[in-house]
Amino acid sequence: MDFEIPESLRMMQETIRRFVKQDLEPISDKVEEEDNIPEEIVQKMRELGLFGLSIPEEYGGLGLGTLGECLVYEELTKTNACFRSRIGTSNGIGSMGILFDGTEGQKRKYLPRIASGEWTACFALSEPEAGSDAGNVQTAAERDGDHFVINGLKHFITNGDVASLATVIAVTDRKKRSRGGITAFVVEKSTPGFYTGTIERKMGLRGSHTCELIFDNCRVPVENVIGGEPMIGKGFKTAMGVLDKGRLTMGACALGAAQKLLDMCVEYSKERVQFGKPIARFQSVGNMLADMATEIYAGRQMLYHAAWLRDRGKMVIKEASMAKLFCTEMACRVADKAVQIFGGMGYMKDLPVERFYRDLRLYPIYEGTSEIQRLVIARELTKD
Amino acid sequence: MKICVCVKHVPDSAAKITIKGKNQFDESINFILNPYDEHAVEEAVRVKKQVGDSEVIAVSVGKKDAINTLRSALAMGADRAILIKTNIRADSVITSRALKAAIGQDGKPDIIFTGKASIDNEGFQTMYRLAAALNMSVASNVIAFSLDQERVLVECEMEADARGIIDMPLPCVIGTSKGLNKPSYPTLPAIMKAKKKEVKIIDLESLAIEKPMSSIEILELKPAVEERSSKELKGQPEEVVMQLIRVLREEAKVL
Ligand SMILES: Cc1cc2nc3c(=O)[nH]c(=O)nc-3n(C[C@H](O)[C@H](O)[C@H](O)COP(=O)(O)OP(=O)(O)OC[C@H]3O[C@@H](n4cnc5c(N)ncnc54)[C@H](O)[C@@H]3O)c2cc1C
Repeated sequence: MDFEIPESLRMMQETIRRFVKQDLEPISDKVEEEDNIPEEIVQKMRELGLFGLSIPEEYGGLGLGTLGECLVYEELTKTNACFRSRIGTSNGIGSMGILFDGTEGQKRKYLPRIASGEWTACFALSEPEAGSDAGNVQTAAERDGDHFVINGLKHFITNGDVASLATVIAVTDRKKRSRGGITAFVVEKSTPGFYTGTIERKMGLRGSHTCELIFDNCRVPVENVIGGEPMIGKGFKTAMGVLDKGRLTMGACALGAAQKLLDMCVEYSKERVQFGKPIARFQSVGNMLADMATEIYAGRQMLYHAAWLRDRGKMVIKEASMAKLFCTEMACRVADKAVQIFGGMGYMKDLPVERFYRDLRLYPIYEGTSEIQRLVIARELTKD
Repeated sequence: MKICVCVKHVPDSAAKITIKGKNQFDESINFILNPYDEHAVEEAVRVKKQVGDSEVIAVSVGKKDAINTLRSALAMGADRAILIKTNIRADSVITSRALKAAIGQDGKPDIIFTGKASIDNEGFQTMYRLAAALNMSVASNVIAFSLDQERVLVECEMEADARGIIDMPLPCVIGTSKGLNKPSYPTLPAIMKAKKKEVKIIDLESLAIEKPMSSIEILELKPAVEERSSKELKGQPEEVVMQLIRVLREEAKVL
């Protein structure tokens, strides 16, 4: 067994560490307050290559494997979570449909622009009536000659406002639904009839915008079906493939934040003195630290192992769901303990602990709730 | 123009060094590109861009793992690299002779940049010895560098507040100091590209360098214990505050 991280990935981690320290941490509070990432920072992200992590080199990306992408995310989530979220949809849910199932023409047209960061991509699946039950999308695409006309409302779409491009999941046959009646489209933001709706007000993840997307007689040519004519009706599979892949990277985001919280707790508990000694010397605090560290260790091994398996071409549906489930819930437990260890300071906005606590609460919800992950794991365990 | 930049693979100053036996330490810790050398690489790449049609070659003397430091230099923009591989702990004499031989083999450069010192041994000598061996002019502690045709103008930090300005001809050896530039961290695409750049590995023995009459031997390594002492600031409150600010800024370096 070789647990060595390849040198080029280690260098990438170092680059991200410096980027976080020099460029992101200093503005993190401002971003939180203004609920916006400054354009210079987005530009810096483009220069660093952060929008093209998972896009293959032939389409202008870095072509990192799953482990590589996880390691980059793990470092990038040690600061305000919105920065990772800004690049997340372009590397993941927004572009992977095109990469997995797109035609060569679609790949050549869109992936290089996404990889360079010129265009941000988003993923529009969720709707008021279709959350966990993704097959219940109401947004409909009706065929009209060599076009489809899309009508409907998507909600909770990350980067929906800044995106130039969306992967849109719509129903093309209401009877068949997930069994042949759902189609994935790539829709450019400039298409008439495609609008950004309300930007939702959230508990956390400030700086990253989550929006409604509105389709009002939005006409898109048949070429915009991801995979073209033969893929009409097969978009449910595309959507599930995209979400499958994202599970490990979500785990990595949770892991990075959990590690950062542990590091802050270790430092704080050694410095904070009560009853004449550092609070780290009280057994109850020490136990919390021990539990946090142990769970992080378990999560990391699980995640890296699943990523490594995936990079070797193995099917990791069960393992990826396990890693997403465990790492995201573990990070919430770690955040809860971190607030406790910091005491009143953990509840104050002067320190980032409370922000991590709020931001991390999202991870067991999106890209498949914990309950859905358990469903997947159980299904994989018991299938014939 | 041909530019060489000499870099060293050194223990990360943030790592916890554990001494093994009398004069060894646990080398499983993180190693990095010597921080002063980062300024050297940055400047070499900047000069390359200024002059155009130039090549930057990173050279290192060290163990097999020093290749990682060369990859860092390549990711920062060097074009190719040479590793002079040895398991001996080379002092400034051996290092400069090895560098001279390898650089000589590759073809004499117009400028050699290197850090003013390595943070592990802090010998401060390699660039002088290398310049003497190659018969090139030399300046160290350089905090400003400009190139105009065949001449180089540098500013060197002498002592606190004193600067020397040297006008020197090419070819030359430049020992870079911290104020020279702000090294940029490599982008991810540059790191990927660096994987494909050439690293030539030469065994130190194959260079058949002249054995020095004497060399440094490390007899014993001991952990440095930082002395803690208290200090009282006296005077009027306003003065004490000013003194405190100065101490926090200059000595504790926390402001
Ligand atoms: C900040 C944020 C960003 C988001 N970004 C995107 C995005 O970019 N693109 C996108 O398409 N979506 C996005 N989403 C939507 C997200 O994926 C959904 O919120 C999520 O899938 C859950 O759907 P829901 O909110 O409708 O909850 P529901 O599906 O209504 O779930 C409510 C509860 O019921 C449980 N439940 C539902 N069905 C089952 C079942 N069969 N068995 C057991 N329990 C069940 C759930 O686990 C949950 O606990 C985002 C959401 C948030 C909050």
